[in-house]
Amino acid sequence: MKLAVVVQRYGQAINGGAELHARYIAEHLAKHAQVEVLTTCATDYVTWRNELEPGVGAVNGVPVRRFKVKRERDPRVFGRRSDRVFEHLHSLGDELDWLEAEGPTSPALVDYLGKHAGDYDFCLFFSYRYYHAYHGARAGASRAILVPTAERDAAIGLSIFPPLFRSVRAVMYNSPEERAMIHAASGNQDVPGVVVGIGSDVPHNPQPGRVRQKYNIRGPFAVYVGRIDQNKGCQELFEFFKGYLRDPAGKLTLVLIGKELLPIPEHPRIRHLGFVDDTDKFDAMAAAELLLMPSYYESLSMVALEAWALGKPVLANGKCDVLKGQCIRSNAGLYYESYAEFSETLGAIEQNRWLSGTLGRNGRQFFREQYDWPVIERKYLDMFERLKKEGPPKVLDPAPGWFDRRRQDLPAAEDVLAKLPAGPATPKSTGSEPNAPSTGSGQGRRRA
Amino acid sequence: MPDFNVRSDSVNVEQIMEQIRARIREKRGVDYTEQQIRDLAAVKLEKFLDPNGVRSDLLEQFRRVQPAYEPPELPNYEFEGSTLYETHRGPLRFIRKLLNPLLKLFFNPNKLIQALHIQAKLNMMFAEREARREAARRATDQLTYELIHNLVVETTRLGIEVKNLKMRVESVGSRLEFNERRARALESVVVYKSGEGDVVPPAPSRPPAPPPVAPRPQQPPSPVQTSQPSRASQPSPAAIAGGGPSPEGPGQRSRRRRRRRGRRGGGSAAGIIGGQAVPQPGAPEASGPGGHDAADERAGTDAVHEGPETNAVVTEDLEQFSGPDVHPAEPVSRPADAENADAGQSPAKTDPDTQ
Repeated sequence: MKLAVVVQRYGQAINGGAELHARYIAEHLAKHAQVEVLTTCATDYVTWRNELEPGVGAVNGVPVRRFKVKRERDPRVFGRRSDRVFEHLHSLGDELDWLEAEGPTSPALVDYLGKHAGDYDFCLFFSYRYYHAYHGARAGASRAILVPTAERDAAIGLSIFPPLFRSVRAVMYNSPEERAMIHAASGNQDVPGVVVGIGSDVPHNPQPGRVRQKYNIRGPFAVYVGRIDQNKGCQELFEFFKGYLRDPAGKLTLVLIGKELLPIPEHPRIRHLGFVDDTDKFDAMAAAELLLMPSYYESLSMVALEAWALGKPVLANGKCDVLKGQCIRSNAGLYYESYAEFSETLGAIEQNRWLSGTLGRNGRQFFREQYDWPVIERKYLDMFERLKKEGPPKVLDPAPGWFDRRRQDLPAAEDVLAKLPAGPATPKSTGSEPNAPSTGSGQGRRRA
Repeated sequence: MPDFNVRSDSVNVEQIMEQIRARIREKRGVDYTEQQIRDLAAVKLEKFLDPNGVRSDLLEQFRRVQPAYEPPELPNYEFEGSTLYETHRGPLRFIRKLLNPLLKLFFNPNKLIQALHIQAKLNMMFAEREARREAARRATDQLTYELIHNLVVETTRLGIEVKNLKMRVESVGSRLEFNERRARALESVVVYKSGEGDVVPPAPSRPPAPPPVAPRPQQPPSPVQTSQPSRASQPSPAAIAGGGPSPEGPGQRSRRRRRRRGRRGGGSAAGIIGGQAVPQPGAPEASGPGGHDAADERAGTDAVHEGPETNAVVTEDLEQFSGPDVHPAEPVSRPADAENADAGQSPAKTDPDTQ
């Protein structure tokens, strides 16, 4: 079996969520099939500047074929077009212009797929919202499998994407919340789909004492791992934790791991270790009492899964449907939506050892059952087998014509998003379909 | 300190979150949502608008200026080169145009036209600037209105916070009072125990003890005197053998308690004034015959003289923490009380109420 993994950026040093996801999947599927990665020469997701050489190379033993990006992203144009399609009545042409502006605009990659898609059994397209996925999946629709990595942002409300979700052979979702959202947005319930997610290579014997000694960390602490950014909810986390520090009963220190894009409050019990390697990261997570996950937007939190793999409870932002749903389904984490809840839940995990231990055990079991690599690999291979047995692919939705592209009748994407179902997917939320969130809450949120 | 009632081996996160939210609601007293706070603020805002309710009608004025600002229609200030000669009559316009060179022989109308043109422009500029200023002023008013509204919202929030804090203070105060009472009761128990050690059984060789001397009513209680009830709580062999008043039963004790409560409710004051207990509304009826009752009545009257509040509280504490409810086998009344009652003496210092 020959597979193509098509992703916007690819490399050992590229740690973006979808890109890392694609690399892990490519490397693990390489054990079962011949995998080739098709990507661009860009490494920066803001500019899409060509920084790597085009042509064929290899990363961790997986062949990588790179294509040039035709033009870099102009942030002003992209911002203007984003405002247009997200907030105003617009046309299909406006959305296609937005997609061009977003990038990475690589017609060479799309041309290659159009000519050579037949060489592969299946093409896995990562991140539905980028140029390569939209045009590439149309070019190789008969073999396209989409890994959307969709978050609850306004892009899901654009009208160009529902045909994409309906035209691919299969969709590999990250979470039940994502699946419910895409079903509601595109009506692609007929397309084969499975909630897969991603595994993680967690070390079997992390050394908690090692990181304590190395960074001189004393006492119990809660750890946050990730970009220290407002978009990740860190500002709110700092405010809440400062409030928690005023409580004399609380003894936890906050340890932050990751690149700092936000001023970190100066306090003896707030420590920033900076960007650390995986060894230190896992040691710190093993040494911590719990993992804090304050992000509002996640399609799947790998860090949370890693914490669960290490038997640590997670305290997540309950405003993120995916995180909340994961906590509920796993019974391995608590969540908060206000300071009072943050304080109480943090205190509960800190002071109730039995609760903390049980949550951690549940997390470890949840990870083993759902996100261990053999499970993930098996889900992909089962899907390939299923698609091979199924009949010929469906006919693509025709491309919009000249008049269709110019008709100004599409609603603002944010309005569409607001009508999509929200809330965590729990078995009891709907009667007919398990793992689907409730609908009609109208809580559309846009990534800041 | 969070505590959760998770009884099974497996946890249910949703259940735990429900418990946590219930705890938060309990702590906060009333769980107001943002919308509720706004509603409350709006109510107060309306009240604020009411000149009868509150003194200021500032917001009323804001409301009055609330209608959208429409800039006034400006007059036509345009003054062009042909304005002087314009007319709706065609022949006249033709004649004026024909004679225009002639007019220019007498004076230079261009200067006049230029000046008027500038003046028209200036007028236009000033009018526009005035309109802009007016719009800005109205926008500032809107902002001020919003500011006041936000202040009212915040004040409401603070009011709720203060209410919650008051509730907490009350809760802490009641706990403190309870602890103080418990401490006093425990201190009494300690005294009782030390008094027990002081009791030395009379040696057979010693002469019999002198008859008990009635204590002076105004004498402050001494530690030895306070230990007397404890002695009395253990009926002396003499009392038992001499057929003295036997320890009262639970029914009598409860009657005494009721009477005491009645006295606290005002009966004692009647006793002071009239020397006779007058039934008070809500007070228990007069007790039935029996020496105990009479003694109790007197004891109650005397206790009022000595400070009814202290006596009542201390007795209640004692009963609560070391009294018959806790130690059912331990009698409360003492033979000494009965003896005093029979002798017509005030048992003020030996009454358990004084402890």
